[in-house]
Amino acid sequence: MTVVVLIAAPDGLRGHLTRWMVEVNAGVFVGNPSRRVRDRLWELLATRIGDGQAVLVEPASNEQGWAIRTAGRDRWRPVDYEGLILSARSRR
Amino acid sequence: MADIWWKADPHDLHRIIDRVSSVYVERSHLDRDENAVVVINKRETVRIPAALIAVILLGPGTRVTHGAVRLLADSGTAVCWVGEQGVRMYAAGLGPSRGAGLLHRQAWLVTRPKERLGVARAMYGMRFPGEDVSQATMQQLRGREGARFRKLYRAHSERTGVPWDGRVYKAGDAFVAGDDLNRLLSAANAALYGICHAVIMGLGASPGLGFVHTGSAISFVLDIADLYKAEYTIPLAFDLTAQGLTDERDARTGLRDQIAQTKLLNRIVTDIKGLLSPPGTDFDTPESSELWDERLGTVSAGINWADDAPGEKKRPPLTAALEENTASEPPQLGEQHIAIIGPESEERLPPTDPGQEPGSL
Repeated sequence: MTVVVLIAAPDGLRGHLTRWMVEVNAGVFVGNPSRRVRDRLWELLATRIGDGQAVLVEPASNEQGWAIRTAGRDRWRPVDYEGLILSARSRR
Repeated sequence: MADIWWKADPHDLHRIIDRVSSVYVERSHLDRDENAVVVINKRETVRIPAALIAVILLGPGTRVTHGAVRLLADSGTAVCWVGEQGVRMYAAGLGPSRGAGLLHRQAWLVTRPKERLGVARAMYGMRFPGEDVSQATMQQLRGREGARFRKLYRAHSERTGVPWDGRVYKAGDAFVAGDDLNRLLSAANAALYGICHAVIMGLGASPGLGFVHTGSAISFVLDIADLYKAEYTIPLAFDLTAQGLTDERDARTGLRDQIAQTKLLNRIVTDIKGLLSPPGTDFDTPESSELWDERLGTVSAGINWADDAPGEKKRPPLTAALEENTASEPPQLGEQHIAIIGPESEERLPPTDPGQEPGSL
């Protein structure tokens, strides 16, 4: 299963994504796109997210069972603690 | 002209054989909203993941905007206008975003007597479970099928007490045939052809290239529908006649309810895929359009193939087209299913009385 979260996405990007995934709540998308389609969608999201933020969580063959991709402005940052991915928020 | 970044590339789309679900919509508007395909009715707004769906079936009371069709075409989703629950098929459309894999496969199978016989045997085999049909000739299969149908008619006649003296019908004019039973059977079969036709179109196969039937523009539709008559239309026609429901509309609504209850749509999708592409065979998704070559298979399109084209894109060395192996987990919408969207879809049954107009938006 793949989950995408879009924050402050530009117009039309959320709607576009609903052609591939189901929007279960504002900006939260769930679906099962194939690896190839996932990569292509991510490319598009990453280039168009602008000042918003995009996060994609996908299945992976690691200890946690999932991997994360982020694009756009850093609000939350995935940090790798020796193989364990945790989420960090910078303190200004 | 605005930047149309939302246009899907062939690589963005799931292969049609991985798309399993169909969506049936009635009494709603289909529109485009912020690049999404959206269904609006008096109860709710639903966004359709068009790129995951093989076919969208538009039932009574639907309106479609140009924008919605443009997005559906871009997503490679087939659109069929149908009667209630797919009984009767009126028109269909399929955009340019589809490969011809399944169609090629069907044409390849149907033009080779040995392969064609194999598919025809498989079709009969689905109807004679537990029997070995692997060596049977078409003549033997036709004979067995005839005997099976005669036995079926007799059994249902005994079960319901409706007399049966032979199937009478006039091809092409389903509704002037024989007695009530024959008339109901013809009406129910016509409805069954509708739903099979819609699914075949939705998968991108050809309705005209049949294996058992031949000559008609819907030969393949007749082939596929024959797989289900014993379970659906024949018992239904006897039941209705026994109950004194002899209107053709009763046959259509009866079949409609059975289709919805038994999820026949999915079964049709699975059966067609199984017949045309048994497990282990696969069609590669073409990069885009290609040119056929009698020795190499295919070469790239969009290149000037003249020997000394000045200033043209350099021609790649001649190699047979690479087979892109997209072995990946097939995408799913959860389970293979058909979704039904419409204001009354929740409390569908029983059917409304015929005089009642569906509420407008």
